[in-house]
Amino acid sequence: MFETRTRWSQLTLQVLVTIAVIPFLIPLVTMVSRSLEGRGWGNYLAVLEVPGFLMFFRNSAIVAGASIIIIYLATMAGAFGFSKLRIRRKELFFWMMMAALTLPEVVLIAPLYATAVKLGMMGTFWSVILPIAALQVPFTILLTRGYMDSIPDTLFEAARLDGANTWRFFWSILVPLARPMATAIIILVLINAWNSYLLPKVFLINDNMGVVTLLPEFFRRQYNDDTPKILAAAVVTAIPTIVAYIALQKQFERGMAAGALK
Amino acid sequence: MAILERSAGSRNSNPGAKRGGWPRPGAAHLVPGGLKWILPGFILSVGLIYYSIIYSGYLSFFDWPGGRQRMTAVGSANYLEAFADPVFWMAIRHTVVYFVVIFTVQVVGGIAFAAALHSKVYLANIYKIIIVVPVVVAPATMAPAHIEVWQTNGTFNTILRAIGLGAWTQGWIGQSGTSLLVIIMAGCWGAIGFGFILYFAAIGQIDPEIIEAARIDGAGNIRMLASIVLPGVRSVTVSLGILNFMTALKLFDGPWLLTQGGPAHSSEFLGTMIYAETAGSSRNLGYAAALSIILLVLAVGISIVIQMRSREKSPTGARKQKVKVANDV
Repeated sequence: MFETRTRWSQLTLQVLVTIAVIPFLIPLVTMVSRSLEGRGWGNYLAVLEVPGFLMFFRNSAIVAGASIIIIYLATMAGAFGFSKLRIRRKELFFWMMMAALTLPEVVLIAPLYATAVKLGMMGTFWSVILPIAALQVPFTILLTRGYMDSIPDTLFEAARLDGANTWRFFWSILVPLARPMATAIIILVLINAWNSYLLPKVFLINDNMGVVTLLPEFFRRQYNDDTPKILAAAVVTAIPTIVAYIALQKQFERGMAAGALK
Repeated sequence: MAILERSAGSRNSNPGAKRGGWPRPGAAHLVPGGLKWILPGFILSVGLIYYSIIYSGYLSFFDWPGGRQRMTAVGSANYLEAFADPVFWMAIRHTVVYFVVIFTVQVVGGIAFAAALHSKVYLANIYKIIIVVPVVVAPATMAPAHIEVWQTNGTFNTILRAIGLGAWTQGWIGQSGTSLLVIIMAGCWGAIGFGFILYFAAIGQIDPEIIEAARIDGAGNIRMLASIVLPGVRSVTVSLGILNFMTALKLFDGPWLLTQGGPAHSSEFLGTMIYAETAGSSRNLGYAAALSIILLVLAVGISIVIQMRSREKSPTGARKQKVKVANDV
């Protein structure tokens, strides 16, 4: 984009970009270097030896996995229905869903908290998974419907002439065709569910149900402000996300870009 | 919330889609019914969300400390309390400041990095990873690191001392004059990369011939940014505006983990207020519900306004570009 005809301007641009990314590194470098203070790598060993440490990751995987499965199934089926099937007052249903598109989860916590207390659902994974799924489904259906609208209807017609029923068409033709969109959605939901903090903080009140975003607070209680260990825990928590991003760079970026269309 | 725009557009571009997309007259009855296909998603999201909003509206007319304690009907007292509460107005002001700063920094930083990394730069992918990692790591996970950066003997003060500005060192997090600044800086840290991803994709969509033509006409780098790139990525900027506005309205993770809204409410946001009233020690779920309804009205109202205004300015361009970004990043 920027034109760099001379070696001098090329070098200037390189130096400017390098200087500009330094602020992004400051918190990361601070995190790693402070986590090694005192006992060095011993801090990491201590963190990993805390009973239940891996459980936080397992719980996050449960929340993210269940959210992804629910959202994926509801989205594929819903988008198929909205895009290709006959439904009376279809657009009314669609608009009712789309009205929930920009809803911030924070407006749900007071009523959901009251409901969860009444139903005895406090401290169950459902109390986190269902709101996460409910908040994402309108958006993922919007995206996927648009995608399926661009798949020609004649394909559906042809499949039916060849004797495929609706289910067969959905499963054998539409789902494979919608795979690029599905990947973006899965990544988007994965990031949102894995990084969600407010809902788990309100609803997953038992220590053995903590998710990874609750780890810093868990260790603050555990270690009474032993900062290096808290930071070691943060590093260990951040690593899977960073590795996943670097490994699936393209998919992550597409998923996040899709998320911006709200 | 780009619904208005988008569904209008999809009707134009694909007129058949609305009726199930059957071109031949009389064929519509052959299309299988689809109600059962949309029901799971519909019940889950519309059911849970509408239920929550209606229940929130109901709760907002009561005082209720939660659990088994009694609910007392108080009429509109919770709303009046909110509007008379100086903390509420502080939270609104912080939300506006946060939005303006983050949005500006995200647009400027995002476009600058996107344009720079579309140029000939060595190790572009390394820079890209460094910029985007803050977006993917949970704010909650990074909070302890941000605290270490901004505390009294933290990294930022060390840097200040190293470059001879030792006089400026202070306890950034712990004083009411600078706590909001820390929240905003931590927010910027995670926000620029997000703007970058979108702008990087959008700039890739700009027709290279246009760029070449502008070059031949003698446009310099700055002129190019202002006259070709900026208009070309306008729809992304509008999306980011709405998105940032929502983020600022619902902000919770950062302020709660860095400052808990303090000291003396100097970094309070609506999100932290609602959380404290929902799960705090002296809670009033009715007040939390009233705040939620106010937040909801603000969110829906303002995003409709932004949507309408951006539609007036560019009747067709916005949607096409957006969908492109989603499909081709």
